[in-house]
Amino acid sequence: MATLSLQNVQKSYGGLQVLHGIDVELEDGGFLVLLGPSGCGKSTLLNLIAGLDDISAGDIRIDGRSVIELAPKDRNIAMVFQSYALYPTMTVERNIGFGLEMRGVNGNERSAAVKQAADLLQISHLLDRRPANLSGGQRQRVAMGRAIVRNPDLFLFDEPLSNLDAKLRAEMRTEIKRLHGRLGTSVVYVTHDQIEAMTLGTKVAVMKGGYIQQFADPQTIYEKPANIFVAGFIGSPSMNFVTGTLTSDGRIARFEASGVRVEIPSNSDEMFDARPAVLGIRPEELKVDDGESAMLTGTIDVVEPTGPDTMVTVRIGEQPIVARLPSRFSGKAGETVGLIAHVNSMSLFDYQTELRVPL
Amino acid sequence: MDTGSHLPKTGMIGELSETRYWIYLLLLPSLVIILLVIAYPTIYGMAISFREMRLTRPGLTGWVGFKHYLVMIDDPVFWVALKNTVLWVTFAVVLELGLGFIAATALNRNVPGTGIFAVLILVPYFLPNVVAGHMWALLLDPRLGVINDILVRVGVLGSYKAWFADPNTALAATIFVEAWHGFPFFALLLLAGLKGIPHDLYKAAAVDGAGPIAQFRLITVPMLKSVIAAAVILRVISLVNSPDLLLILTGGGPGDATQVLSLYAFQTAYKDFNFGYASALSVVMFVILMVFAYAYIRLSKIGQE
Repeated sequence: MATLSLQNVQKSYGGLQVLHGIDVELEDGGFLVLLGPSGCGKSTLLNLIAGLDDISAGDIRIDGRSVIELAPKDRNIAMVFQSYALYPTMTVERNIGFGLEMRGVNGNERSAAVKQAADLLQISHLLDRRPANLSGGQRQRVAMGRAIVRNPDLFLFDEPLSNLDAKLRAEMRTEIKRLHGRLGTSVVYVTHDQIEAMTLGTKVAVMKGGYIQQFADPQTIYEKPANIFVAGFIGSPSMNFVTGTLTSDGRIARFEASGVRVEIPSNSDEMFDARPAVLGIRPEELKVDDGESAMLTGTIDVVEPTGPDTMVTVRIGEQPIVARLPSRFSGKAGETVGLIAHVNSMSLFDYQTELRVPL
Repeated sequence: MDTGSHLPKTGMIGELSETRYWIYLLLLPSLVIILLVIAYPTIYGMAISFREMRLTRPGLTGWVGFKHYLVMIDDPVFWVALKNTVLWVTFAVVLELGLGFIAATALNRNVPGTGIFAVLILVPYFLPNVVAGHMWALLLDPRLGVINDILVRVGVLGSYKAWFADPNTALAATIFVEAWHGFPFFALLLLAGLKGIPHDLYKAAAVDGAGPIAQFRLITVPMLKSVIAAAVILRVISLVNSPDLLLILTGGGPGDATQVLSLYAFQTAYKDFNFGYASALSVVMFVILMVFAYAYIRLSKIGQE
């Protein structure tokens, strides 16, 4: 168990800077998720923490000790790769015990440790097999076994579930959460899957273009996204954005667009007059209200029942928004509908900077 | 109007194409060619080994059973040639494999400019054996050779040396030339093999605490095992089979110091015109090589699984 501290971590390849001063603190036993689209630098950052690549500037501290001068093997970390990276010519038992073997742990001690890890992951019956004779889920478990057997300070996961089918992915996600709860070891977990980030992380760093867009706990990221990118990246279906104007007298902020009129209580001293802004509303927060209090009024475009919910696309002026409504929703395409949402669940962003407008 | 007339007229071939004999018909041309150019010469060549056939003695002909094989057992040149073949092939393959590994490992590092080196390293392999042979014969020439000159100037040698004329150095010198000529074959195959090893394995090994030597021993070599085995088998077969380089460099001499089976068979046939005995020698080579061919086929089947 250990804390992790990234201080102004930078990485350049030649003239190309891919990480621009990353600052992250992870508490002892925490679960840090690095979340972002492909090419955002999250895997590079993980490689830097592992020591598989050299840092250009800044510092990485594990348990307060700077590790940037240390080789990967001396950082007391364990890593799980997207490809699992199991050694194809070795049995499962040797794969799991390889790290111990390289550290000179004797045979008996090693077997005992491997057996314990295998029991924990329910792969004891596979120890004699080779990776080629395992299913994807089993390989995943072996890769995890290889990580936990060494009892490291820090687990590094590089998109470990991406190669699994949807059902197995959900199962393994639960398994990882259970393991983390049981072992209590700090984790850094790279993914582009926002569900994994939300379910697993105690802290989430949303990354884009080599910058951290927001670093917070999952709930904050979901409820109070720092900018339009984060708001759109988290949540499925993604947050609806409506462009309009924001006027505030310091007590009430009023957002207006064609077919939209929302009033949000404000504690901010800032006053705006018809400032261009973007309103963000999550599809799951929207409810039907055809009365006077409707905040958004538009025409139903498409109705898509999914079973538990019905996805309804509504045209508000020129802008389509999606509402996740109960399955009993009976509206038809072409009908007019009014929608409301709780004002606390809404986000407002500046049109120019795309940053959250604090109210 | 008769709608049936729109259908193509089904002739005999059309009918045949619906039966299971069709595939045999399609295979027939290649089968005929294989029988003519591979099976017939092979069987004919084997048949000659049981006959007397000397161009110098046209009258002497007819079946002699295992006579040539019995002669071979008492032929000291045969045993020398067999021993030299084993030495020549073993040392050449070991050297080529070693050099090939070094070249492949160097080329596998993604350093700018390796593309040019990849082409340069392949150059020896592009040279025909005959050209490479003559080139090295000249380079190692006892009077004009550049290499002798350099070695004397550097002080390694006291005087020019006739590398191919000295029984103590002749075989080693030919092995050296062969290794130079053949190592790109290994470099090429091993490079392809190296490129096929996922980079993540090395990352995982680095985290697990394996140093460069352990990574090479426990990841690279095991992952290349089948490539190495296939390359070695193919190379052994081609080395045992080709007398051309030795024919040009030494002609088997001095004495029989560089005599190998393929060259001995070639010379028996085309210098002594004793086709019967030459065939018997070839059959012995054939049997030896069948072992390697079998190993290769087994290996490729394992690879498929």
